[in-house]
Amino acid sequence: MEAPAHPIVQRFAARAVADEARDVPTFWIDAARIHEVLTFLKDEVERPYRMLYDLTAIDERMRRAAPGPPREMTVVYHLLSLERNQDVRLKVAVPSEAPAVPTATDIWPSASWYEREVWDMFGVKFDGHPDLRRILMPPTWRGHPLRKDHPARATEMGVFELPDERAQAEEEAMRSAEREPTDSTRILTLNLGPQHPGTHGVLRIVLDLDGERIVDARPDIGFHHRGAEKMGERQSWHTFIPYTDRIDYLGGVVNELPYLLAVEALAGIEVPDRAKVIRIMLCELFRIASHLVWYGTFAQDLGALSPVFYMFTDRERAFQIVEAICGARMHPGWFRIGGVAQDLPRGWDGLVREFCEHMPDRLREYDRMVMKNPIFQARTRGIGAYTTAQAIEWGVTGPGLRATGLGWDFRKKRPYGGYDHFEFDIPTAAAGDSYARAEVRVAEMWQSLRIIEQCVNDMPGGPVKADHPLATPPPKERALHDIEALITHFLGVSWGPVIPAGEAFCGVEATKGSNGYYLVSDGDVHPYRVRIRTPSFPHMQMLPAISRGLMVSDLVTILGSIDFVLADVDR
Amino acid sequence: MMPLAILLGVVTFAGGLVWAERRLLALWQDRYGPNRVGPFGLLQVVADAIKLLTKEDWVPPFADRALFVLAPALVMVTALLSFAVVPVAPGIGVVGSNVGLLFFLAMTSMGAWGVVLAGWASNSKYSLLGGLRSAAQLLTYEAFMGLSLCGVVILAGSFDLREIVLAQRRVWFVVPQIVGCLTFLVAGLAAIHRLPFDLPEAEAELVAGYHSEYSGMKFAMFFVAEYVGITLISALSAVLFFGGWLGPVLPPIVWFFLKTSFFVGFFILLRAALPRPRFDQLMAFGWKVMLPVSLANLLVTGAIVLS
Amino acid sequence: MTAQYIPLVVLLGVAGVLVVTFFLLSSILGKKNMTPTKAMPYESGMESHGAAGVRPSVKFYLTAILFVVFDVEAVFLYPWAIEYRSLGWAGLVMMLGFLVVLALGLLYVWKKGALEWE
Repeated sequence: MEAPAHPIVQRFAARAVADEARDVPTFWIDAARIHEVLTFLKDEVERPYRMLYDLTAIDERMRRAAPGPPREMTVVYHLLSLERNQDVRLKVAVPSEAPAVPTATDIWPSASWYEREVWDMFGVKFDGHPDLRRILMPPTWRGHPLRKDHPARATEMGVFELPDERAQAEEEAMRSAEREPTDSTRILTLNLGPQHPGTHGVLRIVLDLDGERIVDARPDIGFHHRGAEKMGERQSWHTFIPYTDRIDYLGGVVNELPYLLAVEALAGIEVPDRAKVIRIMLCELFRIASHLVWYGTFAQDLGALSPVFYMFTDRERAFQIVEAICGARMHPGWFRIGGVAQDLPRGWDGLVREFCEHMPDRLREYDRMVMKNPIFQARTRGIGAYTTAQAIEWGVTGPGLRATGLGWDFRKKRPYGGYDHFEFDIPTAAAGDSYARAEVRVAEMWQSLRIIEQCVNDMPGGPVKADHPLATPPPKERALHDIEALITHFLGVSWGPVIPAGEAFCGVEATKGSNGYYLVSDGDVHPYRVRIRTPSFPHMQMLPAISRGLMVSDLVTILGSIDFVLADVDR
Repeated sequence: MMPLAILLGVVTFAGGLVWAERRLLALWQDRYGPNRVGPFGLLQVVADAIKLLTKEDWVPPFADRALFVLAPALVMVTALLSFAVVPVAPGIGVVGSNVGLLFFLAMTSMGAWGVVLAGWASNSKYSLLGGLRSAAQLLTYEAFMGLSLCGVVILAGSFDLREIVLAQRRVWFVVPQIVGCLTFLVAGLAAIHRLPFDLPEAEAELVAGYHSEYSGMKFAMFFVAEYVGITLISALSAVLFFGGWLGPVLPPIVWFFLKTSFFVGFFILLRAALPRPRFDQLMAFGWKVMLPVSLANLLVTGAIVLS
Repeated sequence: MTAQYIPLVVLLGVAGVLVVTFFLLSSILGKKNMTPTKAMPYESGMESHGAAGVRPSVKFYLTAILFVVFDVEAVFLYPWAIEYRSLGWAGLVMMLGFLVVLALGLLYVWKKGALEWE
């Protein structure tokens, strides 16, 4: 840990205190100075932290033992420096009554949605925020759901009723996202969604149109919000795993990995090699499956009817392998704390080899059918372009960032879960437009195939679960021979493991960008706080900036090229 | 009797075409298509018709009632009327008019206005946008559809479609008029809003465009009219450029049917294969490529005919 | 001459009857079920406000004007095309002059940017 030498310490010596977190250099900052510190880290420090990776909060009122200054709530800033390949976490202690911190929207445009989310979920005000409204919850919601005193289950909230008057009021409240245009005869306000075939789910975009030209676009999200972070606080460490699958519901096990890596970091579990390789193989299979869905639906958004059928057929092949290994298809819930649920079935390698031999021809055909089609190119080239600097400014990760020419891939830059043992390239493109994003994803499928081939060829032997007391579920073999083993097994299965107090963060290269889990443990059978940083959230926030001045058709192109999943935006 | 026979023939063909398209698309897209109702799913069309007939007869209260009902009727009637001038075979056809080609052009334009009217009368934003797109597309592609046919008129020296067919006894007009043929096919596709020219209803963008607010039988009219339109443009392509009923051995009507079916299949293949251009790209293509090409084609044809 | 067009009138009649029959049948067979939400224009599930008040972009009018120009020109071309062989080279030259003016017009609006959808 290089904390003592950290520039924050040098510059703000009196104010910065190193926290207990072991994973990321963490500092306590006064609310009054946070703006100054953020500006310093973004603009002034050498090799700056240019990306606001995440911004969230923790309600600390129920903590049993929390090192650091006394506080009721904590606002957490997570910054990323690409130059240093290093993160920094800043914590601001605030009271629970009328908490407030100065806004960071003037430093990062991407802070806007994050601050709205913290306001929505915790009731922390951001002084100077231009548009501090609820973002995930309906505008009529009472209370701030991620506060510990807000009920977590529907049964704690009374019977839900929606009489006509209330439905009317909700409808009326929804109109707050529409704005009375200055020139109402020229500008048409159009709701694209929530029920619209071009939005890939329940997303609402309020458009101000001049003819078909977009004057302004305002995404209204939250329709798919299921309170995943709140659920994390009531599930055991083990039983939360299936919920993660459904965050980016096309990514399947890719979601489980960052959660489990963070839990394993807290528990100090070293995962055996065979489990690592199985995890990586499944993740890359899911990356291909997810990209195939994107490929097909993107083509369909542009009016090509056929590709989606071919690509779903190939995705089905990937799912057959997943099914053979896990028993489930889209959301296997297969990884476990300390490894995976079971060893690979007999004959798995034949299935995977067959897939690896089958795909290259298909990908080449798709290339001719979609990527080389002149109409497709005319619709995507130059549409929704942004530069690397803009991407970093807005918190863009994944293919959207690599399409601007920056080869930043967490699998390479911060090898996790065993990726350092694999050979693969980071595909990039230069233009940063919709076509470039498509190119990168297509090239990524080839790389994923490479990784999968290496997995098949060099699958290590040995156990698939760590031999560790916190690995869950605990081994059953000795439970009926020995009373101590039986008790341990019973506790491990019924309560789940007790993960040591502390906090851990793990970010991975998910299918759509960087997916990160920031876990706070209070030394209990369930997490104290689960923060899920998803890639689609900042990507969606960038939409207005890259779609103004274009046409409605281009908006559909951009939506398709971003490759978001609304469950990933709303959680 | 002839009008009735032609009408029945056209409607039956269009109904069969709905089935054929679904089966062909399914074939090309590695799936089954309708295969449960009747042999090979042939009765699917009948089932669909019954379903649509028993749907609610719905005129939205916010719509312009008269126009809302008129629009689908207009689209359907003009599509059917166009067949009046199509010479199926010697002796088979409704009228042998000496202005047949002009009549066809007039009906096509009228039908396209039905679509614009539908978008306008619906009084709904997506419909309106679809209607506007439709209007602009119609105007642009109408402008050179007539031009693309002038070459044929010069070669045949007549607007009578029978005369035009007979004038192709030596060589099909597709040979001297390949450019005219291509521009006509493009304009025809645009006139009947088939992919890649289905911008007025582009589902990923405008949900269903001009017919967003339509349901039941009124929607069915647009739907059937589209297939009648495909049949019409296919038949016209066969008549104008591929010698209509002319052909060896087989009876004339069979040749006409085969040629028409070929174009129908081609249009379905286009739908399976192509993405959709953007609205401004479509307009630019019409004004900057197709229109000058049609003009040039006309002059070249003129010079060749004289020399 | 007019007798020739009687089948056309018959066809018009039959097509009209067909459409009206279908509409009537559907109105008899279909059930009626009015709900308040059904009475709202579709706008992706949101309440719709003000579709009627919006004027189409001026580009649409421009397209309409261009269309009038070029379609009227097509109207001039038809009689010329049909009498083409009898007009001979003189006809071609005349029409060439006409089309050149027209092409210049197209070039002009092109350069003026009237064909750009901006």
